[in-house]
Amino acid sequence: MRPSFLEASFMEESRRGALEVYEREPVPTWRRSGFWTTTLRKLRLDELEPRHHGFVTSLDELPGVVAQAVDLDEVGGLIVQRGASSVFSYLDPSLAAQGVVLTSLERAVEEHGDLVERWYGRRLSAEEGKFAAATAALWTGGAFVHVPRNVRVEKPLQVVYLIDEPGTAQYARTLAVVGELAECSLREYGLAPDIDGQALHAGAFELFVGAGANVKLAHLQDWGRGEVHDISTKRVEIARDAHCSWVPIHLGGHLTKQTLDIVCAERGSDMRHTGLYFTEGDEHLDLFTTDLHEQGDTTGDTVWKGALTGDSRASYEGLIQIAKGAQNTHTYLQTHSMLLSAKAKADAIPSLIVETDSVSASHGGTVGEIDEDQVFFMMARGIPRAEAVRVLVEGYFEPVVQRLGDESLETLVRERIAAKLVRAEDQVAAYSARR
Amino acid sequence: MGLEIRNLHVRTEDREILRGVNLKVEKGEVHALMGPNGSGKSTLANTIMGNPTYEVTEGQVLLNGEDLTEAEPDERARAGLFLAFQYPATIPGVSVANFLRMAVNAGRDEAIKIKDFGQLMRRNMELLRIDPEFSKRYLNEGFSGGEKKRAEILQLAMLKPQIAVLDETDSGLDIDALRIVSEGVNALQGPDMGTLIITHYTRILGYIRPEFVHIMLEGRIVREGGAELADELEDKGYDFVREQVEASGAA
Repeated sequence: MRPSFLEASFMEESRRGALEVYEREPVPTWRRSGFWTTTLRKLRLDELEPRHHGFVTSLDELPGVVAQAVDLDEVGGLIVQRGASSVFSYLDPSLAAQGVVLTSLERAVEEHGDLVERWYGRRLSAEEGKFAAATAALWTGGAFVHVPRNVRVEKPLQVVYLIDEPGTAQYARTLAVVGELAECSLREYGLAPDIDGQALHAGAFELFVGAGANVKLAHLQDWGRGEVHDISTKRVEIARDAHCSWVPIHLGGHLTKQTLDIVCAERGSDMRHTGLYFTEGDEHLDLFTTDLHEQGDTTGDTVWKGALTGDSRASYEGLIQIAKGAQNTHTYLQTHSMLLSAKAKADAIPSLIVETDSVSASHGGTVGEIDEDQVFFMMARGIPRAEAVRVLVEGYFEPVVQRLGDESLETLVRERIAAKLVRAEDQVAAYSARR
Repeated sequence: MGLEIRNLHVRTEDREILRGVNLKVEKGEVHALMGPNGSGKSTLANTIMGNPTYEVTEGQVLLNGEDLTEAEPDERARAGLFLAFQYPATIPGVSVANFLRMAVNAGRDEAIKIKDFGQLMRRNMELLRIDPEFSKRYLNEGFSGGEKKRAEILQLAMLKPQIAVLDETDSGLDIDALRIVSEGVNALQGPDMGTLIITHYTRILGYIRPEFVHIMLEGRIVREGGAELADELEDKGYDFVREQVEASGAA
């Protein structure tokens, strides 16, 4: 499992410690109130292994899902990991000249050891559990992003994790460090074609937004309709007076257990967390997000919207946590899930831990269905039921999609939502008409 | 040719609301259906459009002789019926322009050219004195009462139905807005469209003069006449009609 090159000693040590945790910890089961349990009982972990691949010189040499989602002309840099290997890497030379780094974490450990050592794992400890330890102990390839102080990057810096073979275990590790007063847009995609069999993506993502910096972050997950299991933790830390807008988009995956945390770590930091999920078939999605305010004078705004078709299950649990002494924090969290079939099940659980006074924090969560008054209104204008439902679901997601602030990515997400609605058209229309 | 309601009986879960309504609205005619709150006016409007909340237990809704009683709302709309809602739904994420285009295209075999659509929309917005920026807003989201009603009449203008039912379009409008909306309806009214104005008050009838007035009480049309009936109602009120009807033993 160990990479063959001789690694910097700090990383070697980190891996050793993490491996102990990994071997000690059992495969977890995540229990929730009510009907909810996320279990990996059906995942045959010991049949999965890292798959290595060679470098490619063009995205056309990779499975089509990559080129369908990423246009090289529209990004400032791109790194693609296929299975266990970094297989494609590009960075606009003008960005490189300004000191921007986008490379595999493997190379970054060699070439930017000090930076990596300073930030790696700072917010994501291997001690957190089996899979956090797995990513720390077993990661290969990986991605490292660095935007130096004061540098402004116009086009997005893009990381892609691709799984295209059943039997793949992918241990993914992304570290992104954005310097003071820098500005950039970051994206991490998890993509797979419809593979026939099981695979695992165990991911760890860390982003550090430096003081006064401004980062637009998007995650897009579309693991296709094979049995890809995604167990990931993503964490964003925002420093003084910095701003981060994070838009995670979940468009599919057999089983997903993700922890998404955003930390306002210093005064004046501001976060916008706007997520979207759409599950179908027998997909299982378990999301836990935390909006943590460690210091005062910080602001937060979390909105998550979901929709479900088929027999799918989705649970969203969102926590606002305001630490002791973090006065004058203003934050709120809203989540809504829309059931589009009789058999789908959703949970929306907002919660609040406030350890200080003089804050304003509110939260709300609902699970609902398509509004029949809206459907009738649209039908009264001649629009057939199925189209009315499709338009209403798209309209429901539209405010989240627009938060992406990038036309081609917005188009991609709209198209995939539309495609899901077309696939489920009959059941959704029948479910809507039934009431 | 036009709308015909035959002996319509309608109930919701708990009670019978319409108890045998007969009404004919020919193309080219303007009718007013008046009645106090709870008399069944809005139920009739919704039933004409096929709102699934209301159950037709007896009778028929016909357009140009074709029985639409069992038709879905979208089929009725495409056949030429239009309902301007008393409380139109909000459609988040869908701009006025996109919604109008969808609705216009729903009634056509071939999609309207973007350019033609743009012209048509601009012309109708001018007619209703609507700010062009309005078309970019999500339909009815954050609209004032007056804006919602204007948006309804804009849809009417775009869809050019054979029969338009205006359900309490005057409610919640100030005098200026009422005048603009009424002028819009008058401009659209012609030999190809019949209009049924449903209202509690006579105020709108000062702007849109009906040729026929029907008064509804407790789920039935109890009196019918020309425009002078509305004037009589204005003077004497619904209680007078009620007493009259009770005296004649018709209710």
